Formats: sequence, C-alpha cells, structure tokens
Amino acid sequence: MSDLARVPSAEVGLPLDRLAALTRGGKAYLLLLPSLAFLILFTYFPILQVLWSSLFHKPYGQAQAGFVGLDNYARVLQDEAFQRALVNNLVYALGTVLPSVVIALVLAVLLNRSTRLNAVLRGLLFSPTLIPLVAAAALFSFVFMPRLGLLDYYLAALGLHGANWIGDPDIALYSLMALTVWKNAGYYMLFYLAGLQAIPEEAHEAATLDGATWWQRLRCVTLPYLKPTTSFVAVIALINAITSIDHVIVLTKGGPNNATKLLLYYIYQNAHEFYDPGKATAATVISVAILLGLSMASLKTLERGASHAD
Amino acid sequence: MRIELKPAATVAAALMCAITLIWTSPLLWMAVAAFRPDTGGSIDMASLLPPRHPTLANFAEALESADFLRYYLNTAIVVLGILACQLVTITLAGYAFARLRFPGHQALFYLFLLQLMLVPPILIVPNLTTIVRLGLYDSLLGVMAPYVASAFGTFMMRQTFRTIPRDFEEAAVIDGARLWQLLRYVLLPLAKPGLVAFSIVSVSAHWNEFLWPLMVTSSPENRTLTVGLASFTQGAEGGQQWGLIAAGTLLVALPLLVAFVGFQRQFVNSFLFSGIKG
Amino acid sequence: MRFDRRILAIVAVAAGLGCSFDAAAAPTRIEFFFPVPVEGQLAKEMTNMVKRFNTAQSEVEAVAVYTGSYDDTKIKMQAAIAAGRPPGVVLTSANFVLEYKLNDQIAPLEPLLAADGTDRAKFLEDFWPALHANATVDGNLYAIPFQNSTPLVYYNADLLKEAGFDHAPVDWAELIAMATKLTKKSGGNTEVWGLMMPQTYDYCGWLFSAFTMLNGGQYFNPVYGGEVYYDAPSTLGAMRLYDDAVHKYGFLPGSVTDAKEVSSSFFAGKAAMVIMSTGSLSFVRDNAKFKYGVAFLPRNVRNAAPIGGGSLVMPKDLPDDQRKAAWSFMTWLSAPEQLASWSRFTGYFAPRKSAYELPEMKQFTAEHPEALIALQQLLKFGQPWFATFNTVGVRQAMEDQVQAVLTGKKKPEQAVKDAQRAADEIMKPYVDSTAGALTHGG
Repeated sequence: MSDLARVPSAEVGLPLDRLAALTRGGKAYLLLLPSLAFLILFTYFPILQVLWSSLFHKPYGQAQAGFVGLDNYARVLQDEAFQRALVNNLVYALGTVLPSVVIALVLAVLLNRSTRLNAVLRGLLFSPTLIPLVAAAALFSFVFMPRLGLLDYYLAALGLHGANWIGDPDIALYSLMALTVWKNAGYYMLFYLAGLQAIPEEAHEAATLDGATWWQRLRCVTLPYLKPTTSFVAVIALINAITSIDHVIVLTKGGPNNATKLLLYYIYQNAHEFYDPGKATAATVISVAILLGLSMASLKTLERGASHAD
Repeated sequence: MRIELKPAATVAAALMCAITLIWTSPLLWMAVAAFRPDTGGSIDMASLLPPRHPTLANFAEALESADFLRYYLNTAIVVLGILACQLVTITLAGYAFARLRFPGHQALFYLFLLQLMLVPPILIVPNLTTIVRLGLYDSLLGVMAPYVASAFGTFMMRQTFRTIPRDFEEAAVIDGARLWQLLRYVLLPLAKPGLVAFSIVSVSAHWNEFLWPLMVTSSPENRTLTVGLASFTQGAEGGQQWGLIAAGTLLVALPLLVAFVGFQRQFVNSFLFSGIKG
Repeated sequence: MRFDRRILAIVAVAAGLGCSFDAAAAPTRIEFFFPVPVEGQLAKEMTNMVKRFNTAQSEVEAVAVYTGSYDDTKIKMQAAIAAGRPPGVVLTSANFVLEYKLNDQIAPLEPLLAADGTDRAKFLEDFWPALHANATVDGNLYAIPFQNSTPLVYYNADLLKEAGFDHAPVDWAELIAMATKLTKKSGGNTEVWGLMMPQTYDYCGWLFSAFTMLNGGQYFNPVYGGEVYYDAPSTLGAMRLYDDAVHKYGFLPGSVTDAKEVSSSFFAGKAAMVIMSTGSLSFVRDNAKFKYGVAFLPRNVRNAAPIGGGSLVMPKDLPDDQRKAAWSFMTWLSAPEQLASWSRFTGYFAPRKSAYELPEMKQFTAEHPEALIALQQLLKFGQPWFATFNTVGVRQAMEDQVQAVLTGKKKPEQAVKDAQRAADEIMKPYVDSTAGALTHGG
C-alpha cells in the first residue's frame, strides 16, 4: 500500500505523508460508502427518528400530533402491559440463554469425537436452526396441543399428564422458551465444537499426566479455554431473546393475559394494533437503550473475538 | 480378537441416539404427518409411526390453497438479491477495515459493530416509515433494502482478508494493479472460503426472516415463504387439518434442509466461521 | 422510401389502436382483504368466488388477499391505508365498523346508494333487523353485512344419550347439571369435558358478552362508544358462572383453549358440548363422525345471542375509478345469490332475507334443519355485537380478566372491577372529547 502511495507523490511533488493519508482516508471512505449509506438509512437515522417521534402524541379528537415531551415515556412506564413485557423479556432472556449455553456445551462435549455416528447426530441436532421460526412455531402448535398433541401424547404413554402448554399463563412463557432453546442449542453447539477443537492437546495430556479425572479436566482445562466461546454465544443468545418474536406472533399473540408479551411484541402491537405511535416509539427507544447497554457490555468481547485471528 | 467391546462407549452412543431422537421428534412428526391421510381429529394424530397408506394428497392441497410456488420465487429473489448486494458492500467495507488505516476507523468499527445488535426488526416503526416514503411499500425491494449493508459480513471479510499474506498484494501492486484489479484477481479468489461461508449464513438467515417481510408486504404476490406459511397455518384452513399444516411446513423448511444434507460440511463450517474462529 | 413510410404509418396506427384498446380494456384493479375467522375451507371458497366475479365482467379485477383473523385483517388494513396503498374493499369484523368511522378510515356508503337510485332505508330493509346496528354509525350506513353468525351450542348426541339426556340444556341450571354429569375424569385427568369453548382473543370476548346478555345484561352502550358495563351485576353473574364451571363443578377447562383445540376435542369425542360460531356449521357437518345436534345458548334471565360475523367496508378517499370498482365488487358480493351460496358453504347466515327465498336456499334448509335453528336464534334473540372506541383494546381489557378467572388467578369480583378500570382508561380520550367534555368555558 505504501508503495502505491509513494509513486504519485513523487510525480506531483506534494508532501508524502499528507497525500498518503488523504488518499488512504478518501479511498477508505469511498469503499465504505455503500455500507454506510444503508447503515445510516436503516439503523442510525431511524434511531433519531424514534427519538424525535417519541416526543409527540396525537390523542383522539386532536387533528395533529402535539409535542408532549417525556409524556409518552411516562405512559409507557406506567403501562402494566409494558412492565409485564419488561419482566417477561428478562425471564425469557435468562431462561433461554442459560439453558441453551449449557445444553450446547454438554452436547458438544458428548459429541466431540469425530466418529461417523457423531457427525450424523450433530447434523440432526443442528437441523432445527435451519427451519424458519414460524415453521417451528407451527410445528410446536401441534407439539403443545393439550391431550392430542405430541408432548401430551407421549407423556400420557409414560403415565404422566401434561398441562395446557400455551393456554396456561403460568406456563406459556416457559413453553416459548423451550421452543427457542430447541431451535438454537444446535447452532451454539457448533461454536462449542470449534472451541473444543482449539484446545491444544498438550493441555489435556498434561492434566491427565497429573492424574486429573475426567471431571477435573473438564473444569480446569476445558471450561477456561471455552470462556470466549461462552461469552460469544451468550451475547448472540441475548440479542436473539430481544429481537425475535415470530413465535409470539404465531402461537400466543402476547397472551394469555400478557403472559408472553415481549418487548418487541409490545412495540409491534402498539404501533399496529392500537395505533399509538407515541407509545410504540417510546418503547422502541427504551428497548434500543437496553440493547445498546448490552452492546457496550459485550463490545470488548466481540472485538476481541473478531480480531482473534490476528 | 481385534474387536474390542467398549460397553461404556456403546451405552453412551445409545443414549445420545435416544436424546437425538427425542430432540428431533417434532421434525420427525412433520415428515410423517405430511404423508398421513387426514382422518380428522383422530386420537393418534401424534403418532410418530409412518402411515400405512402414505399419500401425497396433503401436498397437493397445500399447493392448491396457497401459492407456494410464487412464495418460493419471491423468497429466492429476495435472498439472492440481498446476497448480491451484500457481497459488494462487505467486500469493499471489509477491505477498508482490513487493510487501510484511516482517520476514525476505530469509531466507525464500533458503529458497524452496533448494527449487529440493532437488527432491522427492532427499528420496525421508523424503518417502515422510511420504506413507505421511498415508495417501496409492498415490494420485494422494500424487503431487501435494510439488509444491503451487513456488519456481520464486513467483519467476516475483514477477518478473511487479514488472513491473506500481504506478499500477494504487494506483488500485485508492484505489477501496477489498481484496487479493483487487486480485489478481483488476487483477494477475492483467496477469500472464497469466507465468501462461501457468508453466503450460506446470509441465505439461511434471510430465507427464515419473518417479521420484516410481514410488515412490508401486503399483496399475496409479494409474500415470502415465511409470511405465506404463517398465514397458511394461522388460517382456520389449517383448522385441525394437521396433515395439511405438516405438509405446508415441510414445503417451507425443505430447501434448506436438503441443501444442508447435501453440503453438510460447508454448512457447518460456514456457521462456525460466523463465530470467533477466523 | 414510400414503402417504408407506409409501413411505419400502419405500424403507428396499429400501435395506437393497440394502446387504446389496452387502455379501454384494462380493468381497474382493487384489492379485497378478507379474513377467515372460523374453521373450514373458507379461504379457498372465497378465492373461487372472487374468480367468478372477475370472469363475469371485465371492468374490475378484484384480487383476493387472505389476511388472517379479524384482528390481523384490521392491522393489515390500517397498515395499508397508512402506507398510502389502501385496498378497495375489506371484509372486517362487524363490530369494528364503529371504530373505523371514529378514526375516519372508511367511506360512508350512502352517496353510493344514492347514485344507484336507492337509499339506506330501502337498502337495509332486506337485511335482518339485528344486523342494522353494527352496520350504521349515528344513523349513517358504513358497512354492508356479508356473513353473520351467533354463538351456537353443538352437542354430541351420542354422549348425551349415554348420560340420559335427549336435548341440550335450556337454561343455566340445566347446563350445570348436564355438563357436570357429562364430564368424565380418571385419575387427575379429564377424559371428557362437559363443555368447551374457545377462549382466545376475539372469541373469548364474544362468548363472554353472550353469557352476560343471557344473564340479562347489556354489556355495552350501543348508542355511545365510550361506555361499557363491565362492573355490573349481570356481568359479574356471568363471570361467576365461568369461575364455578371451572373450579367448583369442573366441567369447563381452566385454560385458554383455542378454536382448533375445541373442534379437535369435539370431533375426538373429548368434549360433549361445545359453543362455537354458527360459521363453523359446515365444518362440523363435514367432520363429525357421530350424531350431533345444535341448540340455542342456554338462558338465565333471557335468551340472547350477540351477532358476529363480517361486513364489507370501503376505505376512505379512494381515487374515483377505484371507488367505483370497489362499489361494484361490494354490491356483487352482497347480492342474494352470493350471500346464499356463501351461507350454504360455511354455515354463516345470509344477512339478506331475500337470500332465503332463493330455491337453492329453500332446498338446503329443508335438507339441513340445523341451519334454520341458528337462523331462528338470530331472528328471535339477536343482539348487536359489542363495539366501542378502540374496540380491540376495550375487548381485551375484559378478555384478559376472563382468562385470569378461568386459570384461577383472580376472583370474579376483582376481575370485573379491573376490567372496567382498564376499559375506562382506554376509552378516556374519546370520552374526554365527547360525553365527558366540559361545556362550561375556561
């Protein structure tokens, strides 16, 4: 790169460094332009748009939307449905991230050896990731059907009786969590498999030589090496827990009685069903703030991970 | 005797097989129920045993009730359109981040990073307004638009480019290559594995996208597979015709599953590539 | 040279003619949003009907767009209007008409009636009286009823006979006695439920309003969209019936059952009686492998049945050609022949009296007396469907409480109070600018 920059300046006679920097800067921004244009249009400008819209409200009877300051935020924060959505999302996040990570890790450890059988099993466990969430939800609407559905049918065969998986407000959210874990654990398992393969043989050998048991090896060698993988998977699972509501739309529509209302569904409902854009945008700002908070917290992790190859 | 019986290993394998069977049972049910003639409300709807008289009637009815062929076409257009644009944007941006040290590169990098979190659905309210203002409501272009830039793809390309030794580039530069020649003849061919990996992840992700196409499209001609499937199963059409629902769901899920079976290694490697390992 | 110019001239004329032919022949394209709110093959049949319309004439091309449930259709319609791409005609839940008018989203139909040489009184005369209230707002016509229903009791005659009953319950006392006897439990499980009904959004509110009305209540103010009577004795009585049915007698499932589950259970013999829309009549006829019967809803204070179903509305401010096209489609779709054929296919009633005079209809009702039972309930006891400002929100305010009572989370007394509070909160903006507006200065 420096060669290229040196040549024109030698011809024209401008200060070398200045031109080189300008060329590099200008060239870089030119290359980044297409991406930046779309990023600004669909990610950054919209943030400004919601910030602005969230300050306006058009109540019934008024012809134009009026400036209301932080009123929308007050209404949102006082809305029982929003409070429920916040709590639900928290529970949902914990209930999907933790089990997915643990199950993915366990599966990876169990299927680490490269036998043909393991390859087949890994593929099968990964396949739920490839079907759309709405398709998974359609399948699970049958799985969860009381008495006649897949789960209850086989539970009955075992002599247990099932529950109303998506009709009971106490259980519905957990059923959705189960669906999410089912869908994603296989995907996260892949990361753990890669992570496991990266652990140098010597580390395992040294531990065995020292007389470590299988369990001790797991705790003291494997898990520490997998820390970056775990952070990465956890972040992905967290983002997923906030931004993915296809199954809520198809299976429960936020019910029964707000039991499965998640933040994004609340936004979607207020924007499109209750035509209250003031509330919808205020809720969006709050959700984006939460996501940004998560980003800041995990920024270092991702950056470290992304430049791992360096 | 060279054959060693390892009872512990066999038991473990059997256990894993059982777990996998239970794990994939919903998919197994889907495959079985799709071919089962509809008996309407039979007690054994949930049985995982293949039907005694398999039939294609459910598929025929599914194809008749909803324009799945059109949905396939739309989805293919959207997915390939997005991919084509993304390959361009991520190559250019990835190169910029990989090789060029320019003022503000750290800040811009974080800006890109943020987009990983702020996916279009969360900003659905303003994005929909933007699409309407651009006149792209109810069009496939509208579905594609927010995804043209891909932070994830940019990072992947950055990684990939960084793994290419600088000697190749410098040799090309000395030979007088301009940037686009450098990209086309040197870097992209070497970056192929990364590009393939990204393509698989992008296609899978956008094949399965639901909320955004749901809000942007309106007429049935513009529906994608996921939106079509949701309206198909939600409709009382499905009512309690589970065989029909299973057939429809299978039709939607099939392409990616088949591709996966055929290209298992590439799929796995791609999704892996999307992680931290370069 | 001359040869070329002549060819050119011929081509130009041909092209011109071709263009003008195209322009004249190009039909006006309108979109028709329709939901499928009940079990059955309705989407396919509706698409066929629309095809028939398109082949029967060439000025209008109607595109049938299936948009999910009534609630989903409302969302889609509003999104399309907001995006500047309104559909021509929407089949909407009959009780959303008030809200659309309050939000200034639909066009009044009387100017179009006038252009056709008729007026509201004459037009509505052919429609059953119980349907008038939901089609008009402040006395003006905003919707044309297309498909109507009431809740109906469907019962498994075989199971009832086994238990010694030869008819469906006539009042709440009989309902409780019969349903309790019909419920079969084994271990901790219920093998057969005495009664099942859909309790998901929309169905739940509809059926609960029915029970309130059966208990003598009015449920909402049909003249003013800012008032509901959730916290009233008649409503509380209905809520208590639900509570007892689940927790005291155990004949009703204590969960939010959806229509799929209710119908599946009915066909599988796991529910002796179900309450569903008359719109599912054909679906039940096609799928019940046992002897079944239909009956009026059981009374407590009086017989009543809120109407349900859909009406055709037209979004406001359509361009002239689209408005004409939409009106021509609307009038075709709501003609007696179409209404009759749709009624036979689904189980919904035809909203027009004249539809029942048609020979095919007379033959049909002779062969299928259940269809007439449903119609009789409508004629004798039909009540308007619950409609208020922000109907969906106010409806869900009650539905959430009903679901809470069913699942044992709340007691009826608390539930109706909470429902009233939530509903009042939602209707407040409307009330503040109408009935509650202070008229003294300052």
